[in-house]
Amino acid sequence: MLFNSLAYFLFLPLIFFLYWVAFRRRHLWQNILLLVGSYIFYGWWDWRFLFLILASTIVDFYVGKMVAKALPDKRRARLWLWVSVVFNLGVLGFFKYYNFFVGSMVDGLHTLGLEMNSVWTLKIILPVGISFYTFQTMSYCFDIYRGKVQPTNNFVDFAAFVSFFPQLVAGPIERSSHLLPQISGKRKFNYEQSVAGLRLFLYGMLKKVVIADALAPIVDDIFNHYELHAAPVLFMGAVFFGFQIYGDFSGYSDMAIGTAKLFGIELRSNFRFPYFSRNIGEFWRRWHISLSSWFRDYLYIPLGGSREGKWKAIRNIFIIFLVSGLWHGANWTFVVWGGFHALLFIPLFLLGENRKYKGSFLGEHEFPGAKEILAVLNTFFMVTLSWIFFRAEDLGHAIGYFKGLIGQWSLPLYMHPQGYRMIDYFLMLLCFIAYEYYIRADERNPVPIKTGAVRLVTYTLIVFALLLFYDSGSDRSFIYFQF
Amino acid sequence: MKRLFFKILAYGFLILLLVEALVRGLHLHKGTPERMIDEKGVEKWVPGQSGFVTTGNRRQNFSEYRINDLGFNSYREFDPQTETYEVALIGDSFIEGFHQDYYNSIGKKIERRMPELAVYEFGYAGYDLADELHLVQAYDELFEKIDMVVVYLHYPDDLLRNRYWVSEERLKLQKGMYGLLQHSKLLVYLQNIGFLNSMTKQLVSWKHAISGSSGGKEKSEGNKDQGLEHKTLENFKDLVGQPGLNHEKIVFLVDEQLLSEDLKNYLLTAGIPYIDYGKVLRQEKAPVTLIYDQHWNDLGRELVAKAIAAYLVNEQKPPIVQKQIPLNLHEEYQ
Repeated sequence: MLFNSLAYFLFLPLIFFLYWVAFRRRHLWQNILLLVGSYIFYGWWDWRFLFLILASTIVDFYVGKMVAKALPDKRRARLWLWVSVVFNLGVLGFFKYYNFFVGSMVDGLHTLGLEMNSVWTLKIILPVGISFYTFQTMSYCFDIYRGKVQPTNNFVDFAAFVSFFPQLVAGPIERSSHLLPQISGKRKFNYEQSVAGLRLFLYGMLKKVVIADALAPIVDDIFNHYELHAAPVLFMGAVFFGFQIYGDFSGYSDMAIGTAKLFGIELRSNFRFPYFSRNIGEFWRRWHISLSSWFRDYLYIPLGGSREGKWKAIRNIFIIFLVSGLWHGANWTFVVWGGFHALLFIPLFLLGENRKYKGSFLGEHEFPGAKEILAVLNTFFMVTLSWIFFRAEDLGHAIGYFKGLIGQWSLPLYMHPQGYRMIDYFLMLLCFIAYEYYIRADERNPVPIKTGAVRLVTYTLIVFALLLFYDSGSDRSFIYFQF
Repeated sequence: MKRLFFKILAYGFLILLLVEALVRGLHLHKGTPERMIDEKGVEKWVPGQSGFVTTGNRRQNFSEYRINDLGFNSYREFDPQTETYEVALIGDSFIEGFHQDYYNSIGKKIERRMPELAVYEFGYAGYDLADELHLVQAYDELFEKIDMVVVYLHYPDDLLRNRYWVSEERLKLQKGMYGLLQHSKLLVYLQNIGFLNSMTKQLVSWKHAISGSSGGKEKSEGNKDQGLEHKTLENFKDLVGQPGLNHEKIVFLVDEQLLSEDLKNYLLTAGIPYIDYGKVLRQEKAPVTLIYDQHWNDLGRELVAKAIAAYLVNEQKPPIVQKQIPLNLHEEYQ
């Protein structure tokens, strides 16, 4: 079920009504409703994959208990932890990476002159959101091992934590220490929280429909026919993709956080206006926060982080960026994308500037100076180049695109594939950037307007923009579902 | 909880009201004129109306219409004279031309190519061949003075009935609940951009999923096609065979590639003349239709006008002015 579908607009009010009216005083029933609702939400795509999510839930529920039981004995606890890791990464590896690894092995052997005649590739459908919920369940066992949380004895609570529908298929990836207590604890309807949730949902919808969906046909057209376009058009394609993926993913996160608020649950922020970052270090503290912090806590720090010397720290940085790239998809383009970011990050790390902008934001006290604006543009430019790897079908496609960027200099004439006026999109992006700048202080409050009339006009303009850029013919699914 | 519910309702209502105002203020809605059925049983637009028609969700296409005294979209009144050569162009929305300014219609484009000609456009959205030939019969005095009648025929949609009867279906669009809903320009706009349609499709697909049917898709396509081909041919014969039609004057405007083999063979063997507009449209690389709309854009109309003009030149019509047609125009039509 998509957030931007008719089904969801019927599903959400129904669940909301049952949750706060029918089961208001029955906490257990509220959680059962969340669980059943989440399974309906997930099963809407393909009910068969519900067995997978149920298996992951059962394994980690049991392993969590066993880790806690074995804990005084770290070695035994670690053995149980491996059961969770092997199961979750096994499932992820099979569904997401099996064909990739087999294909890469065959290609590797071919380069060495060895041919494999029979290759076992399988027709595997990637279950939606598998990378998200496997990471979430694994972190539960890790946190028990580290003593951060106690295992829950309530299976319904745990299953609702794993499958909580707002964030099930594309995050934010939640930690058990944050989400589980909220699910286990009693919740009370809060008007302000619900209103904030609706605002976030509306703003997320704007990002998805007006930015991501509207730019998608242009991006597809330019990337699919990159050899026909002039370098400035190719650059525009990469910039548009940057906004498309931002609108798509952060829009989804906003809608997820907004929906959760309606049920009295706070999810972690996933995006904090990343395109206003002044260096790559800041960008990674603002882009897909729940994933980057996951890798920091469960991979970078266990590997030694930056405590064991510069060389090891550099190695660790490379590892988390490469793994983070691979997490996104079974394709070398994602690995190169991760590596590219590692190369941008390491000089900052060596100069000690990767944390330079921690805790501050662009134009916090006064309008940003030329130096800061240049820093933002430079970061945006680098990130835009990296998106070419992310969007490309394969490495050859990415290289061809880069060659076009360098060599295909001609008049930058471009016509929208469906014949729409291009000026509409430039104006829309300018308005969006200006509005994002205006609200940049708090990503959880996209309409920070006190006056009721002005707020009403803002809502109206958002709804109007949705109608102006709505495209009945476009594919409305979210990019990150494939990850 | 109640507070939230009422606030959502209040804000929702106010937002819809403001969006309605924006849609009206920026004229994003389609805005078609009023329909009528006259004393001769001809469905047409109420004479004397004028306004604008919008297509696409950001006013991608915005054009002006003018309904003349007879009830058709045209820059001119229809008053045939013996000394001028008049061509009537009859058809559905493609000829009606609400997707282009009335002063830049297909008829006007033909006249620009052949200044000696006067083109009378009898276009009305939804007309089929029965409507078109009924119009010719109902206004027989007018059509007697017109030298040539070009009848647009879209296969197979225009051949689904074999005789004319007054259809109230389209008039119902401006009456009752539907007509009431048309007062909301926001709803009209939502319908235009395909929003309501996608909702309806979704609901229909759920209905089919629940009832376990596939919406009739399982019917044998082959048999269906054969039946349709036979039926449309018979309908065509019935309609064209009506008494009182001057076959000497009538030429059909068709996309030859869309016609069934049977109908094409019939046209050829019966010696019924036709103009193939489909060929020129297909030869064009640039888009010939509008966004969000199957209708011809300016280029498409230009090409259709060119195809009609080419036919007239080749058939030496009007005969007395052939020598006045610029040489390059003759070459263009070779």
